Amino acid sequence: MIEKITQVQEEALSEIEKADNVESLQQLRITYLGKKGKIQELMSLMRDLSKEEKPAFGQKVNICKDEVTKALEAKQEVLSKGALSSKLEKEKIDITLAGNKMTLGTIHPLILIQQEIEDLFVGMGYKVAEGPEVEKDYYNFELANIPHDHPARDMQDTFYINPETLLRTHTTAIQMRELEKAHGELPIKLICPGKVYRRDDDDATHSHQFTQCEGLVVGEHITLADLKGTLKYMADVMFGEGRQVRFRPSYFPFTEPSVEVDVSCPFCNGKGCNVCKGSGWIEILGAGMVHPRVLEMNGFDSRKCSGFAFGVGLERVAMLKYGIDDIRNFYINDVRFLETFNRFD
Amino acid sequence: MKLSYKWLNEYIDLSDITPYELADKMTTAGLEVEGVEPMAQGTNLVIGEVLECVDHPDSDHLHVTQTRVGDEVLQIVCGAPNCRKGLKVIVALNGAELPGGKITTKPVRGQESNGMLCSLMELGVDKHWLSEVQLSGIEELPEDAPVGERNVFAYLGLDDTILDVSLTPNRADCNAMWNMAKEVGAILHKEVHWPDYEGKSHVGEPTNFKVVLETEKCPTFYGKVVNHVKVGPTPKWMVNYLHAAGINSINNVVDISNFVMLETGQPLHYYDYSKLPKGDITVVDDREMKMVALDGEEFEIQKGDILITTGGEATGIAGIMGGEESMIDENTKGIFIEAANFDAVSIRKTSLRLNLITEAAQHFTKGVEPLAMQKAMDRSVQLLKEYAEADGFEETIIVGKKDYEPKVVKETLSHCNELLGTNFSMDQVTDVLSALDFKPEVNGEEITCHIPSYRTDIERSADIDEEVIRLIGFDSLETTLPLMSATVGQLSPIQRLRRKTREIMCSFNLHEIITYTLVNDAYIENALLPLGKAVALAMPMSEARKYVRTSLMNSVLECAQYNEAHQSSNNHFYEISKVYAEGDEEERLAILLDGKLQDDPLHKQTLIADFYTLKGMIISFLEKCGYQEGRVHINPNSKDTEHFHPYRSAEVWLDKTCLGVFGEIHPEYAKKFDLNHVLYAELSLDGLLASKASKVRFKPLERYPSVSRDIAFVVKKEVSAKEILDAIHKAGSKMIQSTEIFDIYEGEHVEEGYKSVALRIIYQASDHTLTDNEIQESHNAVLKNLESKVKAQLRS
Repeated sequence: MIEKITQVQEEALSEIEKADNVESLQQLRITYLGKKGKIQELMSLMRDLSKEEKPAFGQKVNICKDEVTKALEAKQEVLSKGALSSKLEKEKIDITLAGNKMTLGTIHPLILIQQEIEDLFVGMGYKVAEGPEVEKDYYNFELANIPHDHPARDMQDTFYINPETLLRTHTTAIQMRELEKAHGELPIKLICPGKVYRRDDDDATHSHQFTQCEGLVVGEHITLADLKGTLKYMADVMFGEGRQVRFRPSYFPFTEPSVEVDVSCPFCNGKGCNVCKGSGWIEILGAGMVHPRVLEMNGFDSRKCSGFAFGVGLERVAMLKYGIDDIRNFYINDVRFLETFNRFD
Repeated sequence: MKLSYKWLNEYIDLSDITPYELADKMTTAGLEVEGVEPMAQGTNLVIGEVLECVDHPDSDHLHVTQTRVGDEVLQIVCGAPNCRKGLKVIVALNGAELPGGKITTKPVRGQESNGMLCSLMELGVDKHWLSEVQLSGIEELPEDAPVGERNVFAYLGLDDTILDVSLTPNRADCNAMWNMAKEVGAILHKEVHWPDYEGKSHVGEPTNFKVVLETEKCPTFYGKVVNHVKVGPTPKWMVNYLHAAGINSINNVVDISNFVMLETGQPLHYYDYSKLPKGDITVVDDREMKMVALDGEEFEIQKGDILITTGGEATGIAGIMGGEESMIDENTKGIFIEAANFDAVSIRKTSLRLNLITEAAQHFTKGVEPLAMQKAMDRSVQLLKEYAEADGFEETIIVGKKDYEPKVVKETLSHCNELLGTNFSMDQVTDVLSALDFKPEVNGEEITCHIPSYRTDIERSADIDEEVIRLIGFDSLETTLPLMSATVGQLSPIQRLRRKTREIMCSFNLHEIITYTLVNDAYIENALLPLGKAVALAMPMSEARKYVRTSLMNSVLECAQYNEAHQSSNNHFYEISKVYAEGDEEERLAILLDGKLQDDPLHKQTLIADFYTLKGMIISFLEKCGYQEGRVHINPNSKDTEHFHPYRSAEVWLDKTCLGVFGEIHPEYAKKFDLNHVLYAELSLDGLLASKASKVRFKPLERYPSVSRDIAFVVKKEVSAKEILDAIHKAGSKMIQSTEIFDIYEGEHVEEGYKSVALRIIYQASDHTLTDNEIQESHNAVLKNLESKVKAQLRS
């Protein structure tokens, strides 16, 4: 009788071992462990056994049942894992197909550069000042030490609206408003970006509308060397770390001394290339120490304070930085042009 | 300014510096040299004589010459029509480098040719200076030209180099050669010698000539009668210097007036004395007439133009050009010299209006130094005596302001160093100032400068500091940052709003554009919500750019039009810009959607921009900026139905302010820009900022479950979503968390004129789990309201 148990157990284990899918395993479970299954059948054999034999036999059958159950569970786990992986396999996709188009919009390149400059100067404690584009001659010229009949008015051919009103020709007008507003209070630290207008025919390098960003610092003991240091940081922001700056004498009515500022060419690092026309330097800024008369006209004591001012054309910076060959691109807004600026730089 | 290197060398010894090195130094010191051009170019040249000239056997225009060059005779083939026996010529020998290439010995149509006979044009001489004869053939040298002379350019006076100097407006003094020499002397630390001109005009008999100034625009007038001059040829060196400066030679007397102007910066006018028979000159500015100037052209004179008159008749446009009548010619026997000061603004206005931009007018416009009249008078007398046999002088007449007070400017060493951020010594500073002829006097810290009359730009200490750093060199500057009390740097509210707006617009997949501020008539007439009366330019450059725009719409539509025309069909833009009106300005945001906002057929995700896309953008833009939906109202468009589809556009209100209008552009108007179905919004960012944004507040998370109930019903088509939602919310249950319409259907199975609406209501309480009874009670109230307020027929 005992052999019968062993026989059933071996048969069951062998068949479980052979089972290759969940369904046949389920069938084996019924065959062996079901209410009318083979193990239950063995139990029914106990009826014919003596009282002494019964416990040992029952124990054996229980062991057999445990073994078969264990084997079934082990096999069940193996088979269901296989089923999942074959299911997953059927879910295979072509990962080389294009992803969903998740395009983002863009910021205009002139604004990108303006924001970089703003961030640098805000970080150094400057404020960002603004003013009207339809401006008074008084702020655009008079306070900036460019009285009527001054030859410098020729340098900036102006869109007049009436004799007192014009489209500002430079953001210097904002500086003058801020100086006047300060009522002699020090210090002043600001930059003033904005649109400006001059009577130029539009072509590849001229635009009747363009964008400037100027800066102004007035305080005690502000020096020309401070201007050079400040512009060095600005050059790094505009063209990447490690720029050098060079001053050349120039003339602006609202600064004295006045300088043109060259930045070491970011494309060849000063060795000379197409962009810098072999000189190793690119001319990019105008600057100088605030003219004492400008300080005085705005109510400052020019013996007790001094200041520097600088200005840059953002189109020129963007054209150099991104290799743009025609200034009109900034105002035509061709989508292909705009999409160039769809990433961080 | 065209600066002759050779002429400059008359005042300063330039033997140890090339024109190119000089140009570099001048540029570094602020006199930017834009070009360096030799007057003529060529090597291996010699003066020759054509001994024999016969026709080339195989050509109808070439000649074969035997040309003597020193001891040698060369056979040279020449094509010039004026080539002939006996002519003295310029010969380029074998190996000569000319602007057009290298000359080599080679046969020309079988005839050996050992060089080339040259025209001046072939030697790079500016065509402007050459006559018809010179342009059409080889150069004909004078009979006495020294054959064999190899320094041909020196013989011709063409051994010069011209520096093209771009002067800043404050340095107009350098338009005068003498002043330029002083400047270059200071740059090179070299001595400068002006000619010995002083006092040369202090000659002459008493005069009866009368000069009267009837206008304030001529503050000073120097005049002098010279009874005898001999008009004749001009010395070659003077012709060359005039050419170098870009001035044609006429005769010795006229050339002297121009030469002295170039030296001193003072424009001069010499009149034929016999044409001033009344012996008077009156300067006026109140005439209206026509007059013929010495170029033979007739000019319209207006009141305000300064005129020179004699015996009541006009004889010159003051400071610009003399009259034909009193012009110097070969018959002139005596002259009257005018060296006067005329108002720069008036001269500029007149010369621009008459389009008569003469050398004299340019000098006056840029400014003439106070002592130039005296210098020019002295120098005129000196040169007229020397080169025009001048005699019979009368005393100089000086009318008007004569006084000149030399300027004195003080600076201290410490202030100079403080402004520059440098550490210069007193010696370094005074060296520069002495080189500039500022005659510095040092008293302790203080430096007193005596400014030469021509440096009209030097007025105060900062000007002195500039001279110091400019001539010592900016390379000596260190780089430091300002040392000052700390300040807070931050963006203003509008600046922050712009940045947020850009961030949000980028996330909507829109491109930022910047369009022109100046627009045409049609754009002003068709402005959307124009801010007011447009600001108009006094003198526009073109019809397209006449006004400052009062709205952004047309510029943005134009941009879409451009891109459509350039094969871009999905164009989505935003622009942030000010608009202007008389006495007003406003910052606006424009949004334009044209085509598909998402276009991905592969993954079947395509979003065609329509009214609701734009509405959704605006609502979520406002929400992101802190204006939640309850404060934003979308009302029917009563502002502009001319440019918008009357039934697919709306006004955006924030609290009690209308921010702007959005919707579909009217198909008729879109057509003007070759567009159709384009969506547009223009909102006031200033209006947005005027309302306070809501603060972010955390609300405890709901702890009790919510229950959703769907309702489907049919209502009349014209019942709006707002009316339906209002009906539900007016049912008054606080338990209604949200309501969302998720389907609208018209068509089959729905009666004509009606629509089927499906919506979902979420019920929730914050303090307990809702019971079925509570929900049902509330829901019944909702259903009842729908039936009564919007006549909804419930479907089950």
